[in-house]
Amino acid sequence: MAKEKEVLLKIRNLKIQGYSDETWVDIIKGVDLTLHRGEVMGLIGESGAGKSTIGAAAMGYARDGTRFSEDSSIEFDGMELTTATQAERRALRGNRIAYVAQSAAASFNPSHKIIDQHTEAPLQYRLKKRMEAQEDAMDLYERLRLPNPKEIGFRYPHQVSGGQLQRAMTAMAMACRPDLIIFDEPTTALDVTTQIEVLAAIRDIVEQFNTAALYITHDLAVVAQMADTIKVLLKGEEVEQASTEEMMSNPKEDYTKSLWAVRSFKSPQRYRPKDATPLISVRNVDAAYTAGPKILDDVSFDIYEGMTVAVVGESGSGKSTAARVITGLLPPQEGEVLFKGTPFPADYRQRNKEQLRQCQMIYQMADTALNPKVRISEIIGRPARFYSGLKGAALKARVDELLDLIELEPAQYYNRYPPELSGGQKQRIGIARALAAEPSFIICDEVTSALDQLVAEGILRLLDRLQNELNLAYMFITHDLATVRSIADEVVVMQNGKVVEQGPKDEMFKPPHHPYTDLLLSSVPEMDPNWLTTLLEERGVDNVGDSAAARIDPEDEKVVR
Amino acid sequence: MSVFVIGYYALLLSASCLAAYFNKRSVFLLLFSLTLVSFVVGIVGGAGALKAIAIGAGMLALAAMVSYAFREFLILLASTEMAKELRTAPLTAAFGMFVIFTYAIAGIFAPIIAPYGEAEVISSAFAPADENMLLGADQLGRDMFSRLVYGTRNSVGLALTATCAAFIMGAGAGLLAATKGGWFDQFMGRFADVIMSIPSLIFALLMLSIFGPSMPVIIIAVSIIYAPRVFRLTRAVAGNVVVMDYIEAAKLRGEGTGYLIRREILPNSTAPLIAEFGLEFCFVFLLVAGLSFLGLGIQPPTADWGSMVRENATLISFGEITPLIPAAAIALLTVGVNFVVDWMLHRSSGLKE
Repeated sequence: MAKEKEVLLKIRNLKIQGYSDETWVDIIKGVDLTLHRGEVMGLIGESGAGKSTIGAAAMGYARDGTRFSEDSSIEFDGMELTTATQAERRALRGNRIAYVAQSAAASFNPSHKIIDQHTEAPLQYRLKKRMEAQEDAMDLYERLRLPNPKEIGFRYPHQVSGGQLQRAMTAMAMACRPDLIIFDEPTTALDVTTQIEVLAAIRDIVEQFNTAALYITHDLAVVAQMADTIKVLLKGEEVEQASTEEMMSNPKEDYTKSLWAVRSFKSPQRYRPKDATPLISVRNVDAAYTAGPKILDDVSFDIYEGMTVAVVGESGSGKSTAARVITGLLPPQEGEVLFKGTPFPADYRQRNKEQLRQCQMIYQMADTALNPKVRISEIIGRPARFYSGLKGAALKARVDELLDLIELEPAQYYNRYPPELSGGQKQRIGIARALAAEPSFIICDEVTSALDQLVAEGILRLLDRLQNELNLAYMFITHDLATVRSIADEVVVMQNGKVVEQGPKDEMFKPPHHPYTDLLLSSVPEMDPNWLTTLLEERGVDNVGDSAAARIDPEDEKVVR
Repeated sequence: MSVFVIGYYALLLSASCLAAYFNKRSVFLLLFSLTLVSFVVGIVGGAGALKAIAIGAGMLALAAMVSYAFREFLILLASTEMAKELRTAPLTAAFGMFVIFTYAIAGIFAPIIAPYGEAEVISSAFAPADENMLLGADQLGRDMFSRLVYGTRNSVGLALTATCAAFIMGAGAGLLAATKGGWFDQFMGRFADVIMSIPSLIFALLMLSIFGPSMPVIIIAVSIIYAPRVFRLTRAVAGNVVVMDYIEAAKLRGEGTGYLIRREILPNSTAPLIAEFGLEFCFVFLLVAGLSFLGLGIQPPTADWGSMVRENATLISFGEITPLIPAAAIALLTVGVNFVVDWMLHRSSGLKE
């Protein structure tokens, strides 16, 4: 198969060095890579594994402050890129090698129309006349199943949705019919339902034009759909490489196996205690930001002591707004929040210390949730001092205890600052800060979505252990159904600010579903390499993602219920 | 062809050849372009012009050597953390630090360094420099050098106090406005606009004519003029910090405004504020010097660089550079402070190379 084809990209002994502490340190420690024409290779690994750096190197590009070592070789279609001049390398980019970045929203220039940015490369390389290039762009938009292909290009980037923008970016990469496209986590920032559309579109177009691609991601299930071969990376070194089927069924190295086993964690399901008052009860809440449209529309759900309620839904469905209403950051227009049967003041400024203490929050981005200029001891110690009035030795003992709880060595972390920690460690500090207040209820807002799978798994296990030890209730906001499967007791599904379905987890994952729940469930990528193909055959190419969500029949019995 | 000219060209040419041989590109370019410029200047201006170039280059080299040595000296003295930061300082920043250090010494130990008192008449008016007077005498026969040293104390001290006052007012209001938001923010913003809409020199002149030129009035007037600029910057910087999740977490914890500002916002806004402090210090300094020049600043017989320029201004028509010396002192400090500020801005903006 792939072996008989012509070699397009040959990387030998790639070493990329970064300058730190006044010496050159290897970031990529000698990686070999061979890519044939029309082959899609998946690069996976956790963050810091060097995936993106290798992707950029395939274009002959080393970021500022890094350089290729002397003995590396990058050969693209017979041309050595490490020794090529800047002009020669530049002539390849956009023309023969294209790049699709993680965040399309940040990669498009917001002040130019999409199609003008699309046609820039073909015009620059004098491959097409402007009108030809525009027609070609429309053709590509149609192939990528963008709505209104004739018109959409004439919009500005902020006028189309994230998934559409990502597809427009893929189309742009295709503009010069390159030999190689580098996809750098193209769907990581998207919802599951949108992700499918993009995945299907990318796969089709790569097949149609027989383009080779490097697909960089940390999501195994996604890479299984896209790639012919998979290369696993760890800390700048190759762990192993094999064809997708082989890699999925028979991984050799321990590290790969551990990646594969990640989704196995499952906490036993708990059920509501009978005749108990719920800890937190959200009653018929309507909420909106000043003078805007309603974000929450008649939302009600209960959270019982010691239980985990997962709130799922795509972005914009009002999950985080519900959390802001409970914490009091956004007073509701109507309805109320009850705590153990008594109403909580709507605004957090009117709550007393005891009420504030009960309800804590853990944030999605640990980077912005921890003050970078404050020591760990102060971050964790402050709530303990603030609420419990601990001082001196008692305070230090409490901080040590909390650090022990989150499985970090106290002596090592006591005096450090947040930027010196890894993503997972920061998230643990965020958890410790919430625990320091001794709450009964914690809101976890997408706590694992910014983390690698292995690290996320560790955080989930930690949260589950803490729940058992301290009898905490969690409101778990997430769009990742794998997380829901592993940790939730009850599930609340939200769409456009309404609760469409709620119930215990075991019932929720069994049919019959509300059509929207069904759509969400079926959109979660599975490890099976044929999953996407099967799904598209079952549902039809046009019946996934946003279009499917719009198509939900309002008369459906589950909807009416 | 004098020996000097031959030696001059021989030195330049051999140095550029050496640089070229050892592949020092930038050094070679610098030296050789200097050689080419010297050819042209030498033909036009003769040996005198070449001497001027040589002296200029020598001064530059001397300044560079002083800065380099001073930086190494600081690195030796400082703790390991600080030493690491200091190593990233360019020579210009080291030069700035050296200038500030010299001025600080001159200001603090003025009575010990200055040979005469600041108001002491020791000779005839405009007496030229001799072994007693390093820089000659001024229009009343006071020692120029002594007055320059005392002037460091008065001018720099005044500017420093005024800048600090402006910062306490402006930064305090800015942080409060960013944290509180709402009508308080709006009110402070519009109030700052009103003050900024009055031309600063006219405002200072007005205040000083009403309340009379005394030290406290100058400090208050100048700090009111500069506080709105600090307010705007602080509010913008703090505005970016206030939206972070850790501020939300602190608010939800029930923390008061004081804690929020002191422990959460301020540590994250210090870098741009320090840089702004350096810049504003220069502006304040120039404004105070300007006021003194107009006769409304620090009053005689107190030595002050601005008024020293004015008092000796007549001398300039006789081809003497004496009145320019205090002006040069002002310029040197301004340049030095800006060098240091540039470095700090560079560091806080996270730019590499």
